[in-house]
Amino acid sequence: MSETLFEVTNLRKYFPITGGVFPRQVAAVHAVDGVSFTVELGETFGLVGESGCGKTTLARVVLRLIPPTAGAVRYGGREIFKLSEREMRKLRLEMAMVFQDPYGSLNPRMTIADSVGEPLDIHGLAKGPEKEKRIMELVEKVGLAPFHIYRYPHEFSGGQKQRIGIARALAGNPKLLVADEPVSSLDVSVRAQILNLLKDLQEELGFTYLYISHDLSTVKHMCNRVAVMYLGKFAELGAVKDVYKRPLHPYTEALMSAIPIPGRRREDRIILKGTVPTPIDPPPGCRFNPRCQYSEPMCKKEDPELIEVKKGHFVACHLKK
Amino acid sequence: MNETLLNVNDLKTYFFIAEGAVKAVDSVHLKIGVGEVLGLVGESGCGKSTMALSIMRLIRHPGKIVGGEIWFEGENLLSKSEGEMRKIRGGKISMIFQNPMSSMNPVFTVGSQIAEAIKLHQDAQKHEVREKVVEILGKVGIPSPSERVKDYPHEYSGGMLQRAMIAMALSCNPKLLIADEPTTNLDVTIQAQILELMRTVRKEFDASILLIGHDFGVISELCDKVAVMYGGKLVEHADLATIFKEAKHPYTQALLESIPRLDVETERLRIIPGSVPQLINPHPGCRFCPRCEYAKEICSKEDPPLIEVGQGHSAACFLYGSIDKPNHQRK
Repeated sequence: MSETLFEVTNLRKYFPITGGVFPRQVAAVHAVDGVSFTVELGETFGLVGESGCGKTTLARVVLRLIPPTAGAVRYGGREIFKLSEREMRKLRLEMAMVFQDPYGSLNPRMTIADSVGEPLDIHGLAKGPEKEKRIMELVEKVGLAPFHIYRYPHEFSGGQKQRIGIARALAGNPKLLVADEPVSSLDVSVRAQILNLLKDLQEELGFTYLYISHDLSTVKHMCNRVAVMYLGKFAELGAVKDVYKRPLHPYTEALMSAIPIPGRRREDRIILKGTVPTPIDPPPGCRFNPRCQYSEPMCKKEDPELIEVKKGHFVACHLKK
Repeated sequence: MNETLLNVNDLKTYFFIAEGAVKAVDSVHLKIGVGEVLGLVGESGCGKSTMALSIMRLIRHPGKIVGGEIWFEGENLLSKSEGEMRKIRGGKISMIFQNPMSSMNPVFTVGSQIAEAIKLHQDAQKHEVREKVVEILGKVGIPSPSERVKDYPHEYSGGMLQRAMIAMALSCNPKLLIADEPTTNLDVTIQAQILELMRTVRKEFDASILLIGHDFGVISELCDKVAVMYGGKLVEHADLATIFKEAKHPYTQALLESIPRLDVETERLRIIPGSVPQLINPHPGCRFCPRCEYAKEICSKEDPPLIEVGQGHSAACFLYGSIDKPNHQRK
């Protein structure tokens, strides 16, 4: 197997809820609750799950944009939560993020040259004419024309703005690119452009993606390995071809069968009962048990661990031991 | 074929703003038969929602229906008075919106809002209305409906609220149900529940449905026929199976190949260059022409008419019809 880029061990992130006359913590949102995984250099690791399952929080903790409640992230052999702010800032050069909303993630008062050039200034990577040359280079790399760089965000379409967001993420030559739902706010006909661009860039520059999405079809198209999240935990983790062909966790199975396929009427659909429970007070035992069609008494008592059932294919389910 | 329930003929809905007229719906023809489910597909800004609002006569200033006819059960809706329209809206034609949270009034209970629709359109005693509300909530799968009628919208989850919206739309046994992206805001597992519900609704209430969406997957689950819109125009109209097997219009073909699919392995997706057109003073000719790989000279000059290309299959493209017939079928 190839080299490990980063390793996440038993990561937890709880958001406190305060209440009462004298504000004190009364409960916590268990956004990420004990997650461990490794990401190899050069792969595309997908995180899928429904809204509120903690996938974005997990990505933000991995980048140390928010502090964790417990657990560790080892990035290139170094424990990132123990680094000083200064060391962290240097490391941030290697990590970049592409956001979901291209409209909201660009400053409307800054030209494209300013937005894309900002990381170059902050990290002191380039100045003067050299900086301009670098900006042109980045902008061309994502498929925009050099004359575009003196324009403002409102002059661009959604797809073009997302390209600008990608150019900015590439400014520091990152090793890790976190893409948080990069195409879900774009029109269907524009999505393919961005997905192909992301793939081409990876081929050319060789970075690692952490690709977050609720859309199983794009994850299948983009990723090598995938983790399915449910209520702050991994339900299943494995190579995309294994997980999609033979999902082992009942939740993954239901999720796969819920995706409508163009041109086909699915009769084999598993309809889950109810909705996702609140992460403030997750159900005891396996978190999926209230909605699971195979649920057994022991599922209500014990929380299943993520175990390897086949090489590289992990599942957290009592029934799959 | 069965009887026609709704017949939209040469409909034009324009929005008049300072920069000019936005031709949101431009000469669209559409037919829905009794008991039929028609899917109207297109990207954002292609005019599909404007189409729905035009049928309901809910277009507001600066928008205006500037031409065409909408025949519903033998009557032209465009010649109806506002009072007559009110009787039809929510009665014979009802609508489900994309965002259930913002389509319910937060200060009234869910039950009272459904009751309002029933009181408006049916002659019923107070206790009968209440019974009806509970009955219909039960039918759309709300657990313990006699309790939940008293809840306010914020006490419902997104999926439940969409169920309640469907209950409201069905409360007066409509002939036509217009569903505008009913599952777009919901998670996939909830979407599956709502689609299942819509299927049973179709069987039980025997209503025709106009389902508006951008997701070919969702459309496939429910529809008999599909109409594809692009830039305010109808570009293709055919049976569900035909659209997927032998789409004729270059836009439909490209759109179908540009979506990553769960059931097909693709290394690279097909790209449609450029982006969706502006509808303010659109360029002459076919709206898709600047992005079309088969564009010919005529395409940028004249508007292609919707012509018959097969049994119950029509497309608006100069590649077909009398001019010449290059065969560019999908491999």
